[in-house]
Amino acid sequence: MELLQIENLTFRYPGAEADALRGITLTVRQGEFLVLCGESGCGKTTLLRLLKRELAPAGKRGGEIRYRGRSLEALDARTSAAQIGFVLQNPDEQIVTDKVWHELAFGLENLGLPTGVIRRRVGEMASYFGIQDWFRRETDALSGGQKQLLNLASVLVMQPKLLLLDEPTAQLDPIAASEFLQTLYKLNRELGLTILLVEHRLEEAFPLADRAVLLEAGRVLDCDAPRRLGRALQTREHTHPMCCALPSAMRIAHALGAVEQSPLTVREGRDFLEARFAASAQAQPQTQPEIPPEPDDAAPAIELKNVWFRYEKELPDVLRGVTMAVRRGEFYCILGANGTGKTTALQVVAGLRRPYRGAVRIDGKPLKAYGGGALYRGKLALLPQNPQTLFLQDTVRADLDELLALRGVEKEAREAQVKAVAARVGVEPLLDRHPFDLSGGELQKCALAKLLLSAPEILLLDEPTKGLDAFAKQKLTALLRGLCDDGVTLLAVTHDVEFAAENADRCGLFFDGELLSDDRPQAFFAQNHFYTTAANRMARGLWPDAVTCAQVVARCREAKP
Amino acid sequence: MNAFAAYHPTVLLTYFLSVLVVSMFALHPVLQAAALLGGLVFCALLQSRRRTAADLAFYLPLFLLIAVTNPLFSHNGVTPLFFLNGNPVTLEALLYGVQIALMLVGVLFWCKCYSKVMTTDKFLYLFGRVIPKLALVLSMALRFLPLFLRRAREVRRAQKTLGLLAAKSRVDRIRGEMRVFLAVISWSLEHAMALSSAMKARGYGLKGRTQFSLFRFTPGDGVLLGVSLALFGLTLAGMATGATRFAYYPRLTAPPASPLGLLALCAFAVLCALPAILEGKEWLTWSFCKSKI
Amino acid sequence: MKKDILALFAVFLLLAVLVNGTRIQSVEEYYLLHLDDITPESETVTLSIRCDTALAARDDLDPALRDADVLPADGVILPPTQYVLRAGDSVFDILRRAVRSRRIQMEYQGADRSAFGSVYVQGIGYLYEFSCGPLSGWMYRVDGVFPQYGCSNYLLHDGQTVEWLYTCDLGRDVGCAWKVGKLN
Repeated sequence: MELLQIENLTFRYPGAEADALRGITLTVRQGEFLVLCGESGCGKTTLLRLLKRELAPAGKRGGEIRYRGRSLEALDARTSAAQIGFVLQNPDEQIVTDKVWHELAFGLENLGLPTGVIRRRVGEMASYFGIQDWFRRETDALSGGQKQLLNLASVLVMQPKLLLLDEPTAQLDPIAASEFLQTLYKLNRELGLTILLVEHRLEEAFPLADRAVLLEAGRVLDCDAPRRLGRALQTREHTHPMCCALPSAMRIAHALGAVEQSPLTVREGRDFLEARFAASAQAQPQTQPEIPPEPDDAAPAIELKNVWFRYEKELPDVLRGVTMAVRRGEFYCILGANGTGKTTALQVVAGLRRPYRGAVRIDGKPLKAYGGGALYRGKLALLPQNPQTLFLQDTVRADLDELLALRGVEKEAREAQVKAVAARVGVEPLLDRHPFDLSGGELQKCALAKLLLSAPEILLLDEPTKGLDAFAKQKLTALLRGLCDDGVTLLAVTHDVEFAAENADRCGLFFDGELLSDDRPQAFFAQNHFYTTAANRMARGLWPDAVTCAQVVARCREAKP
Repeated sequence: MNAFAAYHPTVLLTYFLSVLVVSMFALHPVLQAAALLGGLVFCALLQSRRRTAADLAFYLPLFLLIAVTNPLFSHNGVTPLFFLNGNPVTLEALLYGVQIALMLVGVLFWCKCYSKVMTTDKFLYLFGRVIPKLALVLSMALRFLPLFLRRAREVRRAQKTLGLLAAKSRVDRIRGEMRVFLAVISWSLEHAMALSSAMKARGYGLKGRTQFSLFRFTPGDGVLLGVSLALFGLTLAGMATGATRFAYYPRLTAPPASPLGLLALCAFAVLCALPAILEGKEWLTWSFCKSKI
Repeated sequence: MKKDILALFAVFLLLAVLVNGTRIQSVEEYYLLHLDDITPESETVTLSIRCDTALAARDDLDPALRDADVLPADGVILPPTQYVLRAGDSVFDILRRAVRSRRIQMEYQGADRSAFGSVYVQGIGYLYEFSCGPLSGWMYRVDGVFPQYGCSNYLLHDGQTVEWLYTCDLGRDVGCAWKVGKLN
């Protein structure tokens, strides 16, 4: 049975010159799990919002959306609110009340249900999601993953037939994101809930979905089972930007020309590799990767010696004797789970927090030697987890200009400098936009532009890939590599194993307030069994030191020319 | 540890109000002593022993200070102890001071218990009965405040690394802080817009919104409400008829003991001891159950 | 925080003691006052204190006073008695000497603290202002006339008769003709 029929849907934002959606036709059957994907700006969020009447953007709409055979406009308000659930990207932007139980009840209160019914439904939902342990907590005290789970639960408690989700895992760490997606899968399989998910983590979302819809410039480019869609994408146009977002297994298989196979999961990918290369890999001579000579640098760019830190006297230590050194011109990645002290360590390096024991040296000089903001003038810059906080003005240009004015740069020079940095980062078209209106990737680039104005020698990055889709991530990576080549020292804190494996010169693992080990990414991930890239997990049996997709592909090609 | 706090907010509010009304207006030393003792025990049940000891270390000197203050200002009474600047310092005035101290310290203890037992959500629930909209707004405000503060801290940190707040001159620094504040305000507006659409998506604005709460009025609540109202009524009756009258000036006088007067005194003593009684009952049941296992 | 409150309170108390002064007398010391002997040469005044009105308006009387049974049944707290007049004695000086020698309780507000620059007598013999309705208090009469100013400002002459009368109706029930005004 068709739950949702979209016929020739067009949409244009007020004042826009082109349509955001151009004749979309799509049918969603009851109980389907659909993934909507596409480059940022392809109209996937617009489409999703048009399906939820209360969130539909203002503008000119054409075509028809029918929910269970009736036009969406003809639905009564109660049905529309209850039966079509929507979960947004930012967990904090949807939580209305201060208590978890109240948040769960909020939608049902709005529907005007009596207390007894609400009590039962809330209780049922809390048990299903395992919320009972934090049922009476303050919503503010929850972690990001818990918040998003709460948002999901408080939508589901209204018993929707159709669930729409707009990049719900973009702000979560990989573990919480994976848990969230698995919950969706469970809801779909166990309860038959129809799900429409906009997602850029295709690595995990593709294996879960029945069908994937690829949008491009407001049109449906393809709509098929994920495996077939991936295959079609590779055979039809090899250079489509979405190719880099496909699951690792699929990318490796496709790179080796095995388009017909299209493995989706790590397990399928490993089966694919072992079937083809098991024999030849053993025959392959053990090549010792050439280790670049350790540069014997006198003073590292960043040096921490036995650093201890706690937020308050009564609270436990967050950093427990961190010792690390980042060489000049190096790209260093700190990996680790949530709450292990990574971000705190970065803030200590940036001079935002003062350790109660131990020494922090920047360029061989202790932090204290950089008084009165000297540290932040050309020496060091920090890209915070939420880059929006860097901007105070109404346009990006005004913000960049202001920073230079603060440094006492003349007006003419300011304009030239802003222009130069915008060209370098590639944000010229964004200069006159409001910082709040930018997408995650655009914002990240503008933030980098602002930081580069002061030409820092050391750049600290806190979760630089958070919320970015694969394409934006590629662009950011290229930008960071460019900076590294220019001699800038990069220190990043990240959850993103793939990002670290592909880009870092060295990786360190943070656990329980300490830096456990650090090594070159290949050696680092080869040691790890669980905390490693999808490509490495696939190829581990054959080549333990092949960490990135490119490395696996290269080994495959060597093995079987 | 907290049998009493688990009762329905309406019951709790009624209880606290009746105790406070009596202890603020009654002059009888027995009533006051009962209120202070009850409040003290209740408070001790609600908090750790160390905390209670610290409280005593504060309230005892306060009690004495209040008690000796009155005879300095009031010279009525038939039993002068000595004369201060030609005015008598009398035993009656001193005793009256003790009575005031009893009342003040007692009321303070009860207020302490009130703030421990009547948490925000209980208060919001009671408030919400009267003005549902306001209750939601308050709940949203309580949600928003920590969010706002966190955002302000984040922006401050980010701007610090840009050198905004590092200026040497105080005026520049204040201007910097001001700009951070404004930026957070404009973020708040943005946040409010997003939140309001998220609320609409979950059906906010539909007609006939109900008010949900975790509190349920059980028969046990009814019993406690009935008991405390009855005890309160008895005490009030005693006070209204003058059976619990007590005068300090010019000499300590009380009307001859009457059944109603005695009943009122006992009723109030029981009312004040209710939390301790309930706690004791809970503890007994618990140890009984445990002994059975 | 709590320590601060206590300290504040203690300081307040100390200040109160300092402001009031610290002349401490035992009960015996206070009452054992040597009165001047009346000789033929000495100038004298006659003083009496009565509270008939309070007895008449028993229903309005503060129940505590009723129960305590401290008012004289005939309304006479001090029958007309002659006292030696020293030079410059005011009505208040005579009253004070009389109550001290007779062990009659009396409370007053010093001239420095009352609103009209004179001593204000609040209560005599446990009978206080407002003890018998909102218009009650102590008044004094000299030779049948109610003076319009404070008792410590009224200087007496030889042979005058001072009466302290309790009123329950702002003076009207004791024959004071003036309409509005402060008592005593």
